[in-house]
Amino acid sequence: MVWAVIAAAVILLLTVLLIFNSLIRRKNDVENAFASIDVMLRKRYDLIPGIVDAVKAYMKYERELLTEITGLRTRALSHGLSAEDRVVVENRLGGRLSDLLVAVENYPELKASANFLQLQGTLNEVEEQLAASRRAFNAAVTLYNNSIEVFPSGIIASMMNYKRRTFFELPEETRKEISTKPPVNLG
Amino acid sequence: MGSYGNFREFYEKELRPDLEMIDRERKAVRKRLLTILAIAVPAVVLEIVLIPGESSFPRALPVILTSLTAIILLGVFGRSFRSEYKTSIISRVAAFADEGLTYTPDGVIPKEEFVRSRIFLQSCDEYSGEDHFRGKRGKTEIEFSEVTAKYFSSSGSGSKQRNEYVTYFKGLFIIADFNKNFKTHTVVLPDMAEKLFGKFGQALQSVSAGRGELIRLEDPRFEKEFCVYGKDQVEARYILTPSLMERIMAFKNKWNKDVHLSFLDSRVYIAISMYKDLFELRPFKPAADYAFLEESLRFLTLLTGVVDDLNLNTRIWTKE
Repeated sequence: MVWAVIAAAVILLLTVLLIFNSLIRRKNDVENAFASIDVMLRKRYDLIPGIVDAVKAYMKYERELLTEITGLRTRALSHGLSAEDRVVVENRLGGRLSDLLVAVENYPELKASANFLQLQGTLNEVEEQLAASRRAFNAAVTLYNNSIEVFPSGIIASMMNYKRRTFFELPEETRKEISTKPPVNLG
Repeated sequence: MGSYGNFREFYEKELRPDLEMIDRERKAVRKRLLTILAIAVPAVVLEIVLIPGESSFPRALPVILTSLTAIILLGVFGRSFRSEYKTSIISRVAAFADEGLTYTPDGVIPKEEFVRSRIFLQSCDEYSGEDHFRGKRGKTEIEFSEVTAKYFSSSGSGSKQRNEYVTYFKGLFIIADFNKNFKTHTVVLPDMAEKLFGKFGQALQSVSAGRGELIRLEDPRFEKEFCVYGKDQVEARYILTPSLMERIMAFKNKWNKDVHLSFLDSRVYIAISMYKDLFELRPFKPAADYAFLEESLRFLTLLTGVVDDLNLNTRIWTKE
C-alpha cells in the first residue's frame, strides 16, 4: 500500500517536471523566434540605404516616397520606440517598400540596371525571410499558448505565472490602409 | 514540343515504321528459335527414352547444348530489342517531349545523391535504376531516373536465419534546381502517422530520430498529407511558403502516389513511389502500340512539368 503511494508520488513529480521543462522550452522558442524576426528586420534596415541610393537618380517623381522610407527607417532604428509603435512603423515601412518596387515598373532604365535587379532580388529575399520568421514566431506562440491553457500543463503554467502571448498581426490601421489604397496603374 | 503538331502525327510518321520493323524482327527471331526448340526438345526426350543406360548422356549432349543455346539466344535477342527500343524509340519520344532532354537508358541518378537527400534513412545496401533523363526547363536544370533501393535484412538465427534484401523504395527520383538559396536541410514526407493515428500521430511524429525538428505549418490540409522536418524553423518556412505548399499538394494529387521531397543545397529532391516499370518493351505485346507510347510521353511530360508545377522558374530572389 505504502509502495503504491510512493510510486504515485514519484510519477506525479516526474510528470510535473516534464511539463515544467516543456513549458520553459516553449517559452524560449517564442523568445528565439522573436529574436529572429529582429534579425530579419535588421537585414532590411541594412539594405534600404543602398536601394534608395540606387533608385534616387532615376526615380525623379518618387522623391516623397523615398524620403518617407528613409524617415521610417530612422524611426524604426531609434531607441525610444515602444513595442507596439515599432510594429506599426515596421509594417508601414514594409508597405512603402513594396509600393516602391511597384513604382519601379514605370522606369525602364532602372528595370534594366543589373545593380538594381540584384538589390531587388535581395530585398525580395529579405521580405520573404521576414515573412517566414513571423510565421515561425506565430507557430511558436500557438504552441506556447496551447500549453499554458490546456489541462494539465495549464495548472503548472499559472503557477509559473506564464501569460498568453499575442501573435504578430497587421495592426488595424495598416490593414485599413491597404484595403483603401487605390489600385496602382501599371499601364 | 517538336515540329509535329501532336504526338499522333509524330508517331505515324517517325516512330511507327521503326516500331513495326522491331515487331517484324522479333517475330522472325522468335519463330526461328522456337523452331530450333521444337526440334531439339523432342529429340532430347526421344534419345533419353529410347537409349537406356549411362551412354544416353554423351549422345544427348549436343542436342541439350543446342537447346540451351537457343534459350540463351532468345534472352540475348530479347535484351537487344529492348535496347534498340530504348535508344531508338524512347530517345525520340524524349526529344519530342522536350528538345533539350537527353536520355541514357542504362543511366541512373548517382547513389550518393539518393542517399544525401535523406528522404529515406534506411541503409542503402543495394541500389539500381535505369532510364536516366537530363534537361533544362527555362532556368531550371532537372534530371530524373527510375530507382530501386534495398536494405539488407538478417532475421532469425541458426537454421531459421533469413537473409534477404528488402525493397524500401521503388519509383522515380527527380533532382531539380530550386529557385531560392538556403543553407539548412528540410524534408517533406507523406504523413503516415496522422493518417493512422490522428492527433496522437502528431505527438508521435515530434520524436523522429535523426531528422531534426518537426516543423508545424499553418495549412491544415498540408499538415494532414505531409509531415515536415528541418534544422531551422525559419528557413523551412522560407522554403515552404503558403504558395509552395499549395503547389506540392496539387502535385501530389496529380500523381496520386506517395511523394517525398527534400530541400538541400539549393536543390529539391523528389521521390515518387511507383512500382510500375516505365519505358519498357513488353515481352509479349507488340511494340507498335500508340496508346502505350502516348502513356510514356505523358509520364515524361509530367516529370519535366515538375518545374512548372513547383514554379521553379520564378527567380525573383538572389538565386539566378
